[in-house]
Amino acid sequence: MGLLAREIEACGVTTVALALVRELAVMVKAPRMLSLHWPFGHALGEPDKRDQQYTVLHDVFSMARLAPRPGLIVDLPYPWKRQIYTPISDWTAESQAFLQELAQALQEEQARV
Amino acid sequence: MYFIKPGQEVGAIRAESPVNSSLRGCTQRKALAMNKQTRFTPTSPWRERLLRLSNDAAWGEHFAYWFGKVTGGLQLRLEKLRPSSEIPWTPLRRPIAQATVAIITTGGVHLCADRPFELRTDASFRAIPRSSSSADLCITHEHYDRRDALRDLNLVFPLERLLELEAEGIVGRVADVHYGFGFTQDPRDLLAPGRKVGRLLAQAQVDLVILVPA
Repeated sequence: MGLLAREIEACGVTTVALALVRELAVMVKAPRMLSLHWPFGHALGEPDKRDQQYTVLHDVFSMARLAPRPGLIVDLPYPWKRQIYTPISDWTAESQAFLQELAQALQEEQARV
Repeated sequence: MYFIKPGQEVGAIRAESPVNSSLRGCTQRKALAMNKQTRFTPTSPWRERLLRLSNDAAWGEHFAYWFGKVTGGLQLRLEKLRPSSEIPWTPLRRPIAQATVAIITTGGVHLCADRPFELRTDASFRAIPRSSSSADLCITHEHYDRRDALRDLNLVFPLERLLELEAEGIVGRVADVHYGFGFTQDPRDLLAPGRKVGRLLAQAQVDLVILVPA
């Protein structure tokens, strides 16, 4: 998945990849990655749960807009089947959860450097 | 009724399974004819049972995660596929409300009318037009539990959700063509088709690609 993202991004198209296994996401170093700790085959969530699927897509768009540099992995904090999702009122503003996780990812990256 | 035994009548279905030239010395396992009612390639009952455990039981889910992590990690490591620090980068050209968005899935999604993927390993891709409804799409993949994905294909291929967002004006345009990949054993095989898809997407003036794993 990450390898595909790298190849496509090299052709001049912005990519955001979802990842279900964080360890692999770290290894492949894709341009922008959102990591979710959800079961295989459920990258967008549970079947027929529109708000959950929209939440993931909303964060994908936020990632495309806001990721400041390549190789960043943002862990979305939504627990599997234990989260209540509300309809998204403003698609142009980022979700609080995403902003928090983005800040944390940037902080961790800085600490590593 | 998810299983079809070899030789069992499944109705007038589709073309013979493809012969994949990229198979390196491994015994080729033919994809059985697609079950029309369930729209996924049937696999052996034991494999199906194991895959369902990864979805039905918490320990099954943990095991599947661990297994995916270890096998995927080993593959990447053994093949020295740890990419260099230079990561390609293309900033988003225009706001989402004006952008063209496409989806790439590795969940084995393809048009039922198209050639199915080779189950063991297949690095080729299939084009999926935006006009295809979920009834037109099938899944050929035997490495995840596909029941939920078939109930709601948006879990691995969120085309309907994107079309809804396009109608509301949140997304500029949904691309005319999207792409589906199957299961690939050797990640190196994905590099050439990935580049090809990238070129096709760039030609179609796509601004943002969402990559959805299985």
